[in-house]
Amino acid sequence: MRLLPRLLCALCLALLCGLAPAATATPTATVEKLHATLLSLMKEADSLRYQGRFERVAPVLDQTFNFETIGRVVTGRYWKGLAADKRSSFLDTFRKLSAATYAENFDGYGGEAFKTLGEEIKKGAALVRTQIVKSDGKTVSLNYVLNQSGADWRVVNVIAEGVSDLSLKRSEYGAVISREGIDSLIAKLNAKIASYAAANP
Amino acid sequence: MRGCASQPGNSTMPNAKITRGLLALGCAALVSGCASTSASKNDPSDPWEGPNRAFYNFNDAIDRNFFTPVAKGYVKVTPQPVRAGVTKFSDNVAYINVIANDLLQGKLSDFASDTGRFVVNSTLGIGGLFDPATGMGMPAHDEDLGQTFGVWGAGEGRYMVLPMVGPSSIRDAPGIATSLALNPLAYLNPVVTIPLGFVTAVNARANLLEATNIRDQAALDPYTFVREAYRQQREFKIFDGNPPADDMDDYIDSADAENTADDAAVLKVY
Repeated sequence: MRLLPRLLCALCLALLCGLAPAATATPTATVEKLHATLLSLMKEADSLRYQGRFERVAPVLDQTFNFETIGRVVTGRYWKGLAADKRSSFLDTFRKLSAATYAENFDGYGGEAFKTLGEEIKKGAALVRTQIVKSDGKTVSLNYVLNQSGADWRVVNVIAEGVSDLSLKRSEYGAVISREGIDSLIAKLNAKIASYAAANP
Repeated sequence: MRGCASQPGNSTMPNAKITRGLLALGCAALVSGCASTSASKNDPSDPWEGPNRAFYNFNDAIDRNFFTPVAKGYVKVTPQPVRAGVTKFSDNVAYINVIANDLLQGKLSDFASDTGRFVVNSTLGIGGLFDPATGMGMPAHDEDLGQTFGVWGAGEGRYMVLPMVGPSSIRDAPGIATSLALNPLAYLNPVVTIPLGFVTAVNARANLLEATNIRDQAALDPYTFVREAYRQQREFKIFDGNPPADDMDDYIDSADAENTADDAAVLKVY
C-alpha cells in the first residue's frame, strides 16, 4: 500500500503551494485548465451554442496562450517590418480566430476524454504530452509547447498527430503576406471568423 | 468534437496510403483544395511549386466534381459496419507492404507481430473484413518504403504533387510502386480488381471527408496547408509517432531571434 504515503505527499505539496504567494502554475496545469474548458464546451455545446462557446473559451485562451510569441512566430520574418498598429490589429484578429476555431470545432460530446501523459521542461520551454481518448478507445496525440511568461506557463504551439499548428500557420501566413500583404491576411482571417459565426446562427 | 481528430493523411488509417498505391485515385482527395491562389513566388523549400500547384488544382477539380460527391453518396447508402469492414479489408490486403518495411527497417518484433496479424486477420478475420488480431495483442502498424528511406536517414527530397495521386516527395514516391507491387489485389483478374479497387478508393475518400472538411474550413491557402501537413505527418510517421524532442532549443532560439528566416523545421517541436 504505497498509495497512502503518496496521497499524503501530494496533499502536503498542495498545501505548500497554496501557501506560497503567487504560485507558479506548472505547464501541465495550464494545459489541463484549457482541456477542462474544452471539455465543458463539448458537454454544454448545445445549450451554449456557438456564441456561448466563443465567449467561454476566449478569456481562457487569453490566460493560457502566449499570443505575443505566437503572433511573432506565425508572421515569421515579416514581424519585424510590421508597424505597431498592424501588429496589434493582427494579434487581435488572431486571438478572435483562435477562440472562433475552438467554438466551431468543439461542438458536441461523444464520450471523449483528455489524458495527460507527461511533461518535460528544457531551457525555459516545456512540452506537455496529452491524448484525446475517444469513446471507442482510439487516441489522438495532442502535444503542447509552452514557454514561461512571468510566473505563468503559456501555450505557444499545439501539435496534433505530429502536425504543428504554429508551423502550418506560419507557412500559410507567410505565403499570403508575401503575395498580398498583411492587410489582406488580416482581412482573410476576419472573413474566416465571420464565416464561422454565419454558419452557427 | 472534430477539432483535432484528423488531419490530411489521417495517420490512423493506413488504408489511404494503400489505396493510393492500388488505384491511385482515392487519394485525389488528399490534394484537393480550392483554386483560389495564383502562382506565387516559389517557397525555397518547394522549388516545384508551379507545376505542383497546377497538379493540385487538377486533382482538386476531379475530387470536387467526382470523388467527394461519390464518397458522400456512399456514406449515405452504406451502413457504418459495412464501411468499417471495407476499411479493414483494404488495410489487410495492403499489409504485406507494412511487413516488408518492418523487415527493411530492422523492426524484428514488429515484423513478427505484423506477420501474425496478417495471417490471423486473413483467416479468422475472414479475408480481413474483421480485425481479431488487435484484440490478440497484434496492433496495426503503419510503414511504407518512404518511411523506410527516412529511417535510413534520407531527407524528404523535393515535394511533389502527383496527378491523380496527391502529395508525395522524391523520398516517398517510389513507395507508391512498391505498395502496388506488394498488394495481392493487383494480381487478380481486372474484372475483380477494378470494381474492388473502386470501392476501396471511394471508401478511403469517405474516411477522409472529415479531414478535408477541416482543411476547407481552416486553410487560407489549401495548397500550402496540405503541403505542410503532409510533410509533418510523414516525419511523425517515420518516428512512429515519437519524434525526438531535441528541437526545443532551436525553437527557443528562433523565437527569440525575431528574424526567423526559413526555418519552419525548427517549429516542429514534439
